[in-house]
Amino acid sequence: MKIVVCIKQVPATGADKRYTDDLRLDRASAEAIINPLDEYAIEQALRLADDGVADVITYLTMGPESASEALRRALAMGGDDAVLVSDPGLAGSDEWVTARVLAAALDRLAPDVALMGMASDDARGSLVPGAVAAMRDVPLLSYGAELRVAGNEARVRRLSSDGFDWIAAPLPVVASLTDQVGEPRYASLKGIMAAKRKPLETWTLADLGLSAAELHGGALTRVTGARPPEAKPPAERVENVTPTEAAARIADWMAARKLI
Amino acid sequence: MSTNDILFLAEFDAGQATRSALELAAGAAALAAQSGGEAVALAYGPGAADGAAGLGAHGAARCVVLGDERRPAVVHAPAATAVAREGALALLAPATPNGRDLAAALVGSLGLPAFGPVRAVRLVDGTLETEQATLQGAVITTSRPNEGAPSPSVVLVLANTFTPIEGGTGSAAVSTAPTDDGESGLARATIAESQPAEATVVNLEEATVIVAGGRGVGSQEGFGVLQELADVLGGAVGASRAAADAGWVPYQLQIGQTGKVVKPSLYIAVGISGAIQHRVGMQSAEHVIAINRDPDAPIGEFADLFVVGDLFGVVPALTDELRRRRGE
Repeated sequence: MKIVVCIKQVPATGADKRYTDDLRLDRASAEAIINPLDEYAIEQALRLADDGVADVITYLTMGPESASEALRRALAMGGDDAVLVSDPGLAGSDEWVTARVLAAALDRLAPDVALMGMASDDARGSLVPGAVAAMRDVPLLSYGAELRVAGNEARVRRLSSDGFDWIAAPLPVVASLTDQVGEPRYASLKGIMAAKRKPLETWTLADLGLSAAELHGGALTRVTGARPPEAKPPAERVENVTPTEAAARIADWMAARKLI
Repeated sequence: MSTNDILFLAEFDAGQATRSALELAAGAAALAAQSGGEAVALAYGPGAADGAAGLGAHGAARCVVLGDERRPAVVHAPAATAVAREGALALLAPATPNGRDLAAALVGSLGLPAFGPVRAVRLVDGTLETEQATLQGAVITTSRPNEGAPSPSVVLVLANTFTPIEGGTGSAAVSTAPTDDGESGLARATIAESQPAEATVVNLEEATVIVAGGRGVGSQEGFGVLQELADVLGGAVGASRAAADAGWVPYQLQIGQTGKVVKPSLYIAVGISGAIQHRVGMQSAEHVIAINRDPDAPIGEFADLFVVGDLFGVVPALTDELRRRRGE
């Protein structure tokens, strides 16, 4: 059983984030980390290996050369090898191009299960897992709060409108996971040392048989403007008053805004 | 059908159009008025065939019925056929898990530009432009499709971005999507087992008032105090991840990065410190009141009114005060 975990390098949570003058994410300005939700997918893959279900775990990412750091960090948690897809033609890529490139790389890696986090910190469209599944014409098991893989089948527990469903599909599948699956492990010192010797390949678009023209020049969409959010005036504060007084002040505030 | 039309996903449940369908109908109608096209519903889910014409009163000129299934794995095939045939300018999809999965499948199978989740969408000189909060709300960006990109542009829309058109009349022209005989990989995913919750769970994305509790609420019983306030406001109770993880409320009520993304007109955060992961789930709320014991809680940075105090004193007092003002 082969598992590929797709990860993304993102600016650290809480870091100062901005766009460059040419309207791209300024990746140099903030510390880069593995997208936190992807770590939950890594953990699930490693647990499947711990349980003897998975034989090979490969990490896959798309990004600049520096994204190999994210792959090394993942390899320090466990797993076998990693692939970075990096190409000048991918700068400024959007969700469709990301999905197209990951799908092509997955076609080549041919995993039984492709795992992803349910969303990335920096964009949050959550469209890549579903688009990759559609491109590869394989089932999508999305928003899994629990993952089980046995025999020729994978299933996830997914919240429904009033409870949960177990969604099942024959392998191969694409699955996206939530942060309810279980906390990711930390890399051990031994793991960090071992990661340095694990194979890490870099593939270009040509290696995947993709041309820039086929990818519409790297994106179907473009960012046309970036600005800070509207400055919010500081909150009006109510403190050092009795609960009754506080309640009256809140009710007045709500009434002034026609909320009651 | 025209390249100026605006499509929207219209999910039905138990014979009724969902709130998201009505909101997107209003949004599609507004965009279609600018583009010179029609608002066209892609209706699916239980009762879609019977209710489709009724979307005409909410802004839809036409309605294509995709079937009575609502799972994206099944709806995808007829939806893709209909979208390819319509050749519209844009497709609005709700930014819910099902809406995103269906949108993603269309983006993947038809090779379409994707946007969002957006907080505004408009036409500028005939070109679609979206506006969204990115990088966890640190930056507001605007985006457009590139020249020569295929259409329609797929746009994920947050709940409460558009207000449904009420009191309208008229009936949408209904057609049925051709049945798809192809074997789709996505359709191999099936529901193996379903477990309904023990209690009824409200749909937070549709609530216009939300009273949300966090770690400070302390227990399942503590949420009873929040429920009373929500009841008097005609709102719903939500929660932070900490409260859902603790088992005080079902995960359906979790608001934040890995829970629901909500956009109510009033959000009352009770005993919630305000981690960035929570903030991304509620930062589009119109008015935010925070009630917290800690005067330095980060939630104070994005509240409009910050009440420092014990929630078990303030919240019941507020419930009483609101009842009193109503003459109850």
